[in-house]
Formats: sequence, structure tokens, C-alpha cells
Amino acid sequence: MIKHFIRLEWKQFFRASYFQKGIAIKILLVLAAIYFGAFAIGGGVAMFFIAEKAFPDLDPIVTINNFIIYWFLFEMVFRFFMQQLPVMNVKPLMTIPIKRNTVIHYLLGKTSVSFFNFLAIFLFLPFCVVLLVEGYAVLNVLCWFISIVFLTLSVNYLNFLINKNNTIFYIIAISLISLIGLEYYGIFAISKPIGVAFNALYNQPYLMIVPFMLVIGLYYVNFIYIRKGFYLDDAVSKKIKEVNATDLSWMDRFGNVAPFLKNDVKLIWRNARPKQVMMMSFLFLFYGLIFYTQDAYKEMPAFLAFASMFVTGGFLMSFGQLVPSWDSEYYKLLMSQNIPYRQYLESKWYLMVFAVSISFVLSIPYLYFGWKIFGMIAAGAIFNVGLNSFITLFGGALNRVPIELNVKAKAFSNTNGFNPTQMLIAMPKILLPIILFYIPYKFISFEAGLIAIALSGVLGIIFKNQIFTFIENIYQKGKYKTIAAFAEKS
Amino acid sequence: MIITSNLSKKYNDTTVLHIENLEIPKGQSFGLVGNNGAGKTTYFSLLLDLIQPTTGHIKNNDVLVHESEDWKPFTSSFIDESFLIGYLTAEEYFYFIGELRGQNKADVDALVAQFADFFHGEILNQKKYLRDLSKGNQKKAGIVAALIGNPEVIILDEPFANLDPTTQIRLKSIIKNLAEKQGVTVLISSHDLLHVTDVCERIVVLEKGEVVKDLATSTETLKELEAHFAGSEAV
Repeated sequence: MIKHFIRLEWKQFFRASYFQKGIAIKILLVLAAIYFGAFAIGGGVAMFFIAEKAFPDLDPIVTINNFIIYWFLFEMVFRFFMQQLPVMNVKPLMTIPIKRNTVIHYLLGKTSVSFFNFLAIFLFLPFCVVLLVEGYAVLNVLCWFISIVFLTLSVNYLNFLINKNNTIFYIIAISLISLIGLEYYGIFAISKPIGVAFNALYNQPYLMIVPFMLVIGLYYVNFIYIRKGFYLDDAVSKKIKEVNATDLSWMDRFGNVAPFLKNDVKLIWRNARPKQVMMMSFLFLFYGLIFYTQDAYKEMPAFLAFASMFVTGGFLMSFGQLVPSWDSEYYKLLMSQNIPYRQYLESKWYLMVFAVSISFVLSIPYLYFGWKIFGMIAAGAIFNVGLNSFITLFGGALNRVPIELNVKAKAFSNTNGFNPTQMLIAMPKILLPIILFYIPYKFISFEAGLIAIALSGVLGIIFKNQIFTFIENIYQKGKYKTIAAFAEKS
Repeated sequence: MIITSNLSKKYNDTTVLHIENLEIPKGQSFGLVGNNGAGKTTYFSLLLDLIQPTTGHIKNNDVLVHESEDWKPFTSSFIDESFLIGYLTAEEYFYFIGELRGQNKADVDALVAQFADFFHGEILNQKKYLRDLSKGNQKKAGIVAALIGNPEVIILDEPFANLDPTTQIRLKSIIKNLAEKQGVTVLISSHDLLHVTDVCERIVVLEKGEVVKDLATSTETLKELEAHFAGSEAV
């Protein structure tokens, strides 16, 4: 049975349209994978010696054990944003004689070979090799390593629970934040007992049983959870909500783009997925709090420039990066209707500008951190309106993943979790404000840096028409490919 | 009105459509029949520039379809559900299409009112999103939306499928009326030979992407078509 599943997966993967990407992007991705892999392996080897140097009077393994919790914390956050429970098309499987349990076991089992789990192995396997070379007890090292693998898998399964269940998310988030807070203000250092626990794990190999039980437990909880949801209630008996139509005719003043704007507002309001994205983008407003409160960043205003861009750019980036995809369900209609591409794109642009403006107003409380910080946010907002918006729209042209609008990103439905192309396009968005700020800041002054960021945005607004023509051409060129990709029901 | 010359579409060396020459004059009701895979939808997709022709071209009212977008103002279509915006109500959808085609609310209301019969009370004022309507009702909404804005060319793919018998009969009179009285060029495809012969003045049979029959509809046409699809050519 499992054999069949694997074959299906294989076909789904290689026959999907996003796989037929340009060779250049593929090469870049492979290079990136090699780079990160090498980085992790090198890091694993170096870890031992760094630990030895940093704390000469401690055994390196003890040092690592004391700090390892931070690795798991990082992994958890990383996974939370990046990893999704893999999607499997279950509907056709429900009517043929396969045990429901088999499908679920397969799905959960499959996640254990995900890239995220290998990250830990890449890091800790070389470290363990170094330990063995240095003459540590084989049994202890081996059991410790296996424990780490079990713990990684635990994080793996925990992440799915966090992702799928809001209650669990809030419980974990609140307890993590309070523990970190207690640690930070020196009230209670949770990392101490955790360090002790990891050292015990190393010293008493039989304790390996504890992480093992943890994985089994979490796996079981996941299993129960998915099993409960393994009915296509949504598909079979649809809950039909009554429409409460809102009058949006006041938007007619926006002229040509008004019909699209009205539609986009309804799109966001009436569909689960874009609503989710909007809520998420609201959180970006608080991004600044992380950076502005840290003294470390005061010395590195370039990073603050980057953070400030995020404060007003949350919606722009999370909504904008999926621009044609939002309309994927009825893209053929748009393409055969009496619509110039430009109007369509322009309406999306107005929507993003609108969102940036609102975020900017909402970010006024940041004045508390002083005019310099607020100036950065203002410059970031102008950058977002004038440049980032265009980069985002440009990136959209390369994005051909269809979206099911009214389906939240959740198990067994269409999630397009990790999209490497989007990561690549995100790079200039993140690096540009840093570079734009840093060079004038280094050679002239802080204010010059701000002006450079703002100026780049102003330039973008001035050349709006030319830029739109350019982007429009790219969309036009990819038209047939996009239509074909969106027609593919994933 | 619509001139097709030397048009072909290939997917990896497999020719799915090859039409040497086909002219559809203005105001004709044109029916396209053929088995699955005959190339009906491919032809309509080429007409709407949703796919790229491998060779040749289509001219819609002297506009080269795959090079200019100027055919869009006078052409409208309903191919499948992907022409509907699921999160709108039927009214909102009509108004949206209306706005794209330069019609105000009153225009749209006036047009839609004519189809109260056709809707059978299941489309308007339903307080339901289009995605929550049944397949048949979705189709009704889509077909009527294609009539908004006085198009000169209307393309409907399988308009009779999924409709209940009453609605099928009403749709036939709508299509006839469009072509005969309003001079609209109507292109439809169908698997239902009876409906097509009822509605269309001219019927073209596609087989494996080629035109094999081009008939002016007469009383004999239905029999001829049935004979053709039954596999025997005897008339």
C-alpha cells in the first residue's frame, strides 16, 4: 500500500507545473541547498571546538547541552513559519478499500523525512563524529545522538499540532513567552534545568527512553487529531452562510480600477485564506518591538531600517506575493473579459498602498521610541509604496501556484507552504532597504540613509507608469503559462 | 465575422486541432459537435486567446485574436465554472461584468430582468454566493452574464449540459432570439445533437481536430448527424 502512495507522491511532485520552472532557478535552488548543507556540516564540526574555546573549563558536550535548547527553540519557530503538514489528496482514497489508519500513518511517517529533520542531523552528526574522534564513550555519544533525533522528530510532530490547533498554539506560545521572559529578567532560568536534563541524557544512555516516549506520544496525539478530521464534511455537506452584502459603491470614485478594488475587498472579506493572510499581516505591525527594544541593534541601524520596512509592509508582502494566484479560480474569466492587464495590476497596487497607509497610521505609537525610529518607519513606508510594491507585483508574475480561496491552509487541503521561488524574490525586498540605508549612512549620515530609502520610493512613484508597462509586459508574456497552471487543480 | 485560417494546435507533436479554413459570418448561430477530444473546447480556447495557436490565426471582426486585445469589448463567453467568481452573489457578479463592459447598474438590471423565466427564481435574491449554487444554477448565471453588454460574438461551451429540461428549452429560445433578431454571432458546442440542430443554422462536426462535416441545418440534418456518430455513413 505504502508503495502505491509513494508512487502517487512522486507523480504529483514531478507532474506539477511549478516543477517545470526555469533551469536557472533550479540550479540556484540546488546551490542554495548545497550551501546550507555545507554550512550545517561545517558548523557541526566547528561546534565542538568553539564550545571548547568559549568555556575552557567545561567539557564541550556539557556546554553544548547547556545551550542546545536554543537550537530547538529556533527550530520550532523556523518550522512554525515554514513547514506544513504535507498535503495528500484524500478524497479519491476515501471510497476505495484502504484503511483510514494506513493513510494517516503514511502521512505522518512521510513528514519524518522532511528537510527540516535533516537539518538537525546535518548539524549534530558531524559533531558526534568529532566527539568519537576525541575519544568520548561510544555508547553515550550514540544514545545522545539518537535522543537528539527523537527530540527533533518531537518538534516535528509538535509543530503540526501547533499549526493546526489554535488552542495548542496559544498554550505553547504563552508558556514559551513567559519562560523566556522569566529567563530574560533573571527571575527563573529555565535553561539551567534543561541543560542539566540534556547532560543527564548524555551521561545515562538508558534515559534515551524519555525522548523516545515523547515522539511516540506526540505521534499518537497527531494521529488521533487527524483521524478525527478525516471526513470530508466540508465537501459533502457544505455549510452555506447567508450573504450580507455590503454597499461598496463609495469606492466608485477610484475610477477605472473601482470594480477591481470592490472585488478585492470582497475577496478578502469573504474567503478564508485571504482573511487568514490579512490577520497574519497585522502581526507585522509589532515587528518593530522586537528590534527597537534591543540595545544590540542600536549600533546597527541598517537592521533597524529593514525592520522598519516590515512594520508597514506586512500586508503588502504577504498578500502581494500571491497576486495573480488570488484570482486563480477565475483567471480565465479575467483573461477573456474586457480588461486591460494594467488596470488589474493597478488595482492591486492601490490596495497595497492603502494597506501601507493604514499600517503607517497604526504605527504612530512607535513615536515612543523617538523621531529617529519613526523617521525610519516613514521612510520604510515610502519605500514600500514606491518600490517594494512593484517588486512584489513583479515577483507575482513568476508565481503560478493556484490557490483555493475559501480553504484555510490546513491539513488535507491545498497549501502551498514552502515556495522557493518566493524566497528568492524576497531577497531583494529584504536586502534593498539595508543597502540603500547603509551606504549613505556610512559615508554621510543617518539622515542621508533615511533620505536614500525614501527617495527610492519617490522615484518608484514618479516612474510608476514606466514600471507598470514593464510589469504588464511580463504578465502578458506569461499569460498562457499562467492560465494553464491555474487550470491545474492541485 | 470570424475567420479561421490554417489554424492548428499541437501538444508535443500531437495535433489536437487543425482547421484549414472556416468562416463564420455575422449573425450566424454556429454549432460545433464532436466526441470527446475532438477539439471543441480547444477551438473555443483559441478563440478567446486562452491558449496559443501553433500555426495560423483567428480573425475576429478583423482583429487578430492572438496579437491584439481589441476583440474583447465585443466578445463574451462562458466556457466553464472557472468563469464565475465564487465569492460573489449572482447580482454582484452581473454588476461586476457590467462594469467591465461599460454598463451601469440600471442597464444590467434591465437586461437581467428579461431572464426571470430562465432563472426560475433560483438565481436572484438568493443571498447565496455563486460557489454555493448547484452546477446547473451556476451555469444559468454564467450564461446570462455572457449576454451582458451587447456583445456581438457570444461563445458558449456545452451550454445545455447540467441544465434541467425546462431550462434547456428556454435557453434554446434565448439563443435563437439572439441570432435571428439581434444579429449576434453565437457559437455553441454540444453533445446533444437534437438541441444543436434545433438552435443552429449551421453545424460543423469535428473529429480528431479536423472539420469532417459542415452542414447548413435542414430537416435532414439530425438524421445525418445521428448516422455519422453511429458509425455508418448511410443516409
